[in-house]
Amino acid sequence: MKDFDAKWQRLTARARLAPAGADEPAPYGFATRIAAQAFAPRGARFGLFEKFALRGLLAACALSAASVAYSFSALAGESEDEFTLASDPLPELLDLSS
Amino acid sequence: MQLMAEPAFNLAACLDRVRRRDQAAARELVEHLYPLVIRIVRAHLPRRVSEEDLVQDIFLKMFTRLDQYQGAVPFPHWVSRIAVTTCIDQLRAQKRRPEFRWADLSENEAEVLDAVLTDERDELPGDALAARELVQKLLAQLKPEDRMVLQLLDLEQKSIAEISQLTGWGQSMIKVRAFRARRKLQKLFQELQSKERT
Repeated sequence: MKDFDAKWQRLTARARLAPAGADEPAPYGFATRIAAQAFAPRGARFGLFEKFALRGLLAACALSAASVAYSFSALAGESEDEFTLASDPLPELLDLSS
Repeated sequence: MQLMAEPAFNLAACLDRVRRRDQAAARELVEHLYPLVIRIVRAHLPRRVSEEDLVQDIFLKMFTRLDQYQGAVPFPHWVSRIAVTTCIDQLRAQKRRPEFRWADLSENEAEVLDAVLTDERDELPGDALAARELVQKLLAQLKPEDRMVLQLLDLEQKSIAEISQLTGWGQSMIKVRAFRARRKLQKLFQELQSKERT
């Protein structure tokens, strides 16, 4: 381990000699963008698209619930139409023809 | 013509204005701290990571948590801690490190590594920039937390107490991590020594 430690220390000592980059200022407009984002109201972080997508989803849910409620009786099999269909008009018509 | 000296930046006054939601003060604060934050990000992350996104993330965290800053440590230290922990999170999110091979090194880096493994002189010959790149590649083989400890300890020459302050880890944990990281590097050195240089 001591042998390795000596090697590692020599390597890092050499690496420390590499010139450090100069202090770099923030890119143009970066600080303004960050400041605007930091103080933006929470709601404003949602984009316009997300807002419309959320409204669309809610409208679609409401429509599907309404359509289920409207056609509930048909889905439950309690419709009068089904009763009338039980008396098939075709045999009656055939009787008339004979 | 005599040059006008730039007025010193008044951090406390700027922070007061930022707390009153002054956007101009927020801008000044970002501009003042940017060199510190970009230095930390560049020291700890590989180049493929988008550093601008990460710096942006660090500054937004700083503004979100500003109410938690009590003044117990200097403000730049507090921001450095946010930057370091954000970098660790980023390192954790990265994919597993591939196996380390001689072929992954540039010619200069391979020469430096060769000298480290075979040359017994105190002063290591070779390109310092290549040595730094090589150290970064070796550190990339470690777990993010272990890598951070060695980076701060051996490259930036920070004390255990300073690292503890920066990372929030206990001093004994830092020592354990440093020991574990060096053991892993030692194993890596042994593997490289046994492999043929290509």
